[in-house]
Amino acid sequence: MLVTWHYRVRNGLMEKFDPRARWIFSLAFLFAVTMFWDARFLLFFFVLAFAWYFSSKAKWKETRRGWLLIGFILFMMIVVNTIITGGGAGGVVPKGGHLVWPAGLFLLGWKIPFDLTWERLWFAICQIMRISSISAIFLIIPYTMDPRQYGVTFRGLGLPDSFAYSMELAFRYVPTLARDFTTTFDAQRARGYEIERVKGNIFKQIVRVAPLIVPVTMNSIMMGEDITDAMDLRCFGQRPRTWLYQLNYHWQDYVLISLGIAMLLVGIFSLYVFHIGGFWVPAFFIH
Amino acid sequence: MQKKLWKFGTKEVVYAAIGAALYGILGLATNLLQLPSAGNVSIRPAIVIPMFFGVVFGPIVGFISGFLGNIISDLLSGYGLWFWWDLGNGLIGLISGLIFLRIVTYKSGKEIVLAEIFGVIGVVVGMALASISEMWVSGADIKTVIFGNFLPSAITDAIWGLILLPILMIAYAAVNKRSGR
Repeated sequence: MLVTWHYRVRNGLMEKFDPRARWIFSLAFLFAVTMFWDARFLLFFFVLAFAWYFSSKAKWKETRRGWLLIGFILFMMIVVNTIITGGGAGGVVPKGGHLVWPAGLFLLGWKIPFDLTWERLWFAICQIMRISSISAIFLIIPYTMDPRQYGVTFRGLGLPDSFAYSMELAFRYVPTLARDFTTTFDAQRARGYEIERVKGNIFKQIVRVAPLIVPVTMNSIMMGEDITDAMDLRCFGQRPRTWLYQLNYHWQDYVLISLGIAMLLVGIFSLYVFHIGGFWVPAFFIH
Repeated sequence: MQKKLWKFGTKEVVYAAIGAALYGILGLATNLLQLPSAGNVSIRPAIVIPMFFGVVFGPIVGFISGFLGNIISDLLSGYGLWFWWDLGNGLIGLISGLIFLRIVTYKSGKEIVLAEIFGVIGVVVGMALASISEMWVSGADIKTVIFGNFLPSAITDAIWGLILLPILMIAYAAVNKRSGR
């Protein structure tokens, strides 16, 4: 099994920011955007999110798989739940509203009971803007953040040394475990095990995955003992750690963090002080 | 050595990392192998890893295995990061690990049943948190969240856990005995 990180150096604008500043901005963006259902605010977040996304210089070919998944989720959530069944709009869109087909929807002479309202349709547009904005911000992270820097990044964000080191170790352990998995898989196949032909009811299928999961898990637990001993012998955890990669904030990082905090503050004040930003339908949209 | 529920020493640091990497790799591998699945629900037999690591090494190890493992799996598959689902997976490991002090032999019927109960509670709480967060993020209503997110993910995860957790515990008991630990 080929296990590769999706990160590449692309020299995009996004890579000029400190990973800590990017995490703070991304999380602030998430909390800020989820305060709004007003399309005017959501449009701002939508433009900002995709400007941020395109600053990564990631190609469509690379991110296609992620977007297909998001497209499927959006389809289920918006077309099926909000537009067809009306379920997804519950709680945000007020009851009633203006019907798109007041006389009913006729298909091949049959009247179909479909009470789609303009309000629900507008809500669907808001949902698309909100979900795709959040997706653009978070989808791009694996493609633009160096996996070697996750440990030191989260240490810099205040996580204790031991937790950050655990993250660092996990990322470094991935290729080793992928190799062990491939070895085990090949060995089991040599004994006649074929996961592609697992048959029977759901319980039989699950049990037959065990010859793959059990040896890989037990093998890595046995290896963990050696790593623990080696770390104990080197007095792990007795003093604060030093990290191979050093992160330093620059002026652009402070700008990004300030933007994130400003978005949050605007969201809080709009929602709780000025009571704006809730669901709103423009008059021109309702015929 | 006496077990401590919230200890996070060298051993726990290492096994949390191994659990996370293992969950990430097995999650990715079983997705790529396209196991027979029902409907559009993504099935992930690797969900047993945070449960097992929680039961054997404690709640913090279980939490990191699930939380970080889900991040690694998403990073490797290119699906982006979905923080609330990572947190839900972490909770599965954490709640499974709350029974850590009561598990000694790893193979007695009572211990296996206890581990299974905590594993299922973990799945219910973890997937409920992740699913409910979709209401906040996507504006979905409670029915959509229950039938579209919670039930498919919780049922499949619970079934995988219920069947694979005892197998891993018994295998671990054998490995433990053989290695003289």
